[in-house]
Amino acid sequence: MAVRDTIITGLTANLASSSVSVSSELPFNSAGEPLYVKNKKYVYVDEDNKDVTELYSTLDGNSIDTTETTVQAFLTVDAKNELSDIDTIVDTIIAERNQVSGPHTKECEVSTEIETDYITYQFDYRFVTT
Amino acid sequence: MATINVTAGSQAILTLGANAALATPGATDGLTIPFLQDLTISAAPGTVRYSTLDSSSSSAFTTVNENSVSCNMLVDDAVMFGDSTHTVNSVKTNGLFETSKAKTEINFSVSFEGTGDTGDTYWSGSGFIGGLAPTASIDQAVWISPMEIIVNGELTKTDE
Repeated sequence: MAVRDTIITGLTANLASSSVSVSSELPFNSAGEPLYVKNKKYVYVDEDNKDVTELYSTLDGNSIDTTETTVQAFLTVDAKNELSDIDTIVDTIIAERNQVSGPHTKECEVSTEIETDYITYQFDYRFVTT
Repeated sequence: MATINVTAGSQAILTLGANAALATPGATDGLTIPFLQDLTISAAPGTVRYSTLDSSSSSAFTTVNENSVSCNMLVDDAVMFGDSTHTVNSVKTNGLFETSKAKTEINFSVSFEGTGDTGDTYWSGSGFIGGLAPTASIDQAVWISPMEIIVNGELTKTDE
């Protein structure tokens, strides 16, 4: 199961009673505008990006690899009238990283960008498996 | 004249055995140590330095050779803890830890250029396994251990 699927499944359940919903669509651009901007209050999760690097190389050619998987999620909401439960929503999306089983490193970085009257939260998940 | 490139993954092979034949590189029942990160053979003559009144530099004479083989490896469970289904080579049966703990003398070979080709060179000898110190951490992800073979006697060079 891709990490994206795990995150979407978890967020759908954990944000069910919040002010936002989770979309299963990819955050593609529609008419020149990302879906998460067009459809505010919907969390969009992008595809997995994987980076496999060699952790140990050995004299017999049996290398040990480490896989870094990064996934981005986006949420756009009204900046003028912030959602009353936005802090809980952000914390829930951050905590969703812990539902992914397997990786020994599970991180999430949040950044925000305000444009005109809306604010976009970008969540950068990072998972490392060896 | 040429350097020996070990990046092909088939050179620099350490093989252990309960006797010299089993420790020959490529031996069917030899214990080939996998996942070696580095391999060092030390063949150092012992020396004693002394000074004399008629010289401003010290002099030296040699004593006996002190030979050893050391390496760092990623721990393979069958190699570290033994393979109980194997019956021919006791080092392979008991694994590195039990052989070290029992202070059993083993035979070894270090192949410089791999095996199977005429002219391939290896050094061999006998000695005792020591220096096992497996460590693990979340960052290194796998068990890693150094190992040393304290050589008992001379190293012997053989050309295949």
